[in-house]
Amino acid sequence: MINSSTDRNRRRYSLRQSLLSKYLLIVLCALLIVPLGIPAILIAVSLQTRADNRDASLYDSNRLERMWHEEAARLDNAAPEAIDAALNRVKAAYPKAELFWVDASGATRLKLPDTIGVPASWSASDAVAFMKGTSGSGVFTVVAFLGDKPGGGFMTLQLDRAEMRKAGGPPTSRTYLLLLAAILLVLGLFLFVSLLFFYRIRRRLVRLETAMTAPAETGIPLPVDAMRMDEIGRLEHAFNAMIGQLERSRKREAKEEALRRDLIAKLSHDLRTPLTAIRSHAFSLGQEALSVKGKESLELIDRKVDSLGRLIDNLFSFTLLTSGQYPYHPQRVDIVRLARMHMAGWYPAFEQAGFEIDTDLPEEAVCWNVDPQWLERVLDNYLQNVLRHARDGRYIGLRVSGEAGGRIVIADRGPGMEAASKEKGAGIGLSIAALMLKDMRLRSIFRSGASGTEVHIFPDSTLTG
Amino acid sequence: MGKRVLYIEDDADIGSWVKEDLERRGYEVDWLVSGEEAVSRVRAADLVVLDVMLPGLDGFTVGRRLKKEAPDVPILMLSARTAVDDKLQGLQFADDYLTKPFHPDELAARLDVLQRRYAASVDQPAACGHLLIHPELQTVVDSRTGEEIPLTAKQLQILLYLLRNRGQILTKEQIYEAVWGEPHLDRDKTVNVHIRYLRERIELDPGNPQIIETIRGIGYRVK
Repeated sequence: MINSSTDRNRRRYSLRQSLLSKYLLIVLCALLIVPLGIPAILIAVSLQTRADNRDASLYDSNRLERMWHEEAARLDNAAPEAIDAALNRVKAAYPKAELFWVDASGATRLKLPDTIGVPASWSASDAVAFMKGTSGSGVFTVVAFLGDKPGGGFMTLQLDRAEMRKAGGPPTSRTYLLLLAAILLVLGLFLFVSLLFFYRIRRRLVRLETAMTAPAETGIPLPVDAMRMDEIGRLEHAFNAMIGQLERSRKREAKEEALRRDLIAKLSHDLRTPLTAIRSHAFSLGQEALSVKGKESLELIDRKVDSLGRLIDNLFSFTLLTSGQYPYHPQRVDIVRLARMHMAGWYPAFEQAGFEIDTDLPEEAVCWNVDPQWLERVLDNYLQNVLRHARDGRYIGLRVSGEAGGRIVIADRGPGMEAASKEKGAGIGLSIAALMLKDMRLRSIFRSGASGTEVHIFPDSTLTG
Repeated sequence: MGKRVLYIEDDADIGSWVKEDLERRGYEVDWLVSGEEAVSRVRAADLVVLDVMLPGLDGFTVGRRLKKEAPDVPILMLSARTAVDDKLQGLQFADDYLTKPFHPDELAARLDVLQRRYAASVDQPAACGHLLIHPELQTVVDSRTGEEIPLTAKQLQILLYLLRNRGQILTKEQIYEAVWGEPHLDRDKTVNVHIRYLRERIELDPGNPQIIETIRGIGYRVK
């Protein structure tokens, strides 16, 4: 159900909202701009060229010459004012041109501009000199007789050939330049848009990565804002969904732990209550007149009730310890004082069992950073073991030394650890002690020999921190 | 007349057995199977024995209510639960704690200790060897001669403290902190010195003390 709707969603947004399609669109735009843009540029360039060509044809030498002769032909027998006006008109069309005219008497009339270096009145040699001066020079010169026949004076137009070339220069190089610039612009634009596109993808990926690697106080990362529905958006949604699942499973785990704790407490109660009842009836039986064998049986029942009670306690402690549910409150503890107080509590039990009790505790404090209740529990386990399994030796030794970070030694003269561990019930107690010591960064070693066993408890230097 | 015990236990088997046993030991037992009525009955009791796993009201809740109602009545918690946090929670109002399956002798011994501890405020005269000690008068009398043995204030306090915890071994740190009311420092010999002088006054043979026993390396005890 969920899967099919997800599939539908995927199909729906895969086309419109895919990063791939977005990028394809950008590439397509770039590809389309080139074929569409180049003709557009070409058209623009050709329009420009046509305008230029109009100018260029204006300066064409043949055209100039034809125009000048036509002007001169129209001015046959014209009044000098009309000739002036014609020259002025031509000057307006060709601002760079130099114009003047000479009348039939050989006098120079209008000069445009006035600075043209020609004689005021012309002799035959002047005319020849002028003709010689113009031919071969870089100046284009047209001389036309007024009325287009000799005798009526003449008019001259001069233009620098360089100016003529400039005005009508070849248009092709400019076109190429424009074309190149346009292509570069399109390419640049494409690169820029691509860069922007990938930069934004990168930024979103980095944001996602930061969210993943920087978990909140709970140890679970915070969800991210998933605004878009593209590939990264879907990744963000998937990430958020994963966090949701993680949180739910964390809650479920906590709930299960609480249930387990409760179950352990209830089980402990339900097991201990009948045990107490068994003991109560055994005790009542003990008040009756019994045979020696009957009394022995009752004692056995009593002992078994005790060991079963301890076993239940150990079993539940072990379960709590291994699931990290056993409350641990480390603090600075003077182990000399703790050992002394603890031994004071155990003393009557050992005394009653006829043990020789040998304590060797220093005057100075030796401090460990441990939970005192845990350490007491560990000592309880070892002392209980001695009382139950090393009775034959009738010796209990408790030593504390401050050397090398401190050391607690419990010694007995029992049958040794191998024999002791064969007894039922010792195993789990020792496992609990080992677990607790490990959590307190301590360790224990057993030195077993013919004369008995020593348990050494000391800080584990391999577990630092 | 025997001490009155208010006993709250839901298990009929255990309840009737404990009631019988305690009555045989001279206690007057008021046994309830639930905690609802307990608060109204606590005033009439000298001691409370309370099971934690009660139907209805939780044992801890009942315990706190009882302590609020009658702070001077000692409470012994009886429980089938042993998780350490239960112990801590219980001891906020309970004066002692015993886990099931307990031995009837141990229950009787604990009740005895509790009663003595609370009775210490009432302070009955106590005999110890040849000594007769009157805590209310702050005097120690040699019972053979009837003469008062002169003791310094600290010597008397040490003796009374050991007597209040009769049968228990007390470390020098415990004694120092109870009598001087300050934290004990390393290597401090004050308690040892005071006990040596105290023995010179009260022991028949200070070289072989009979009243204050030395537990080597651990502490002292008055039997």
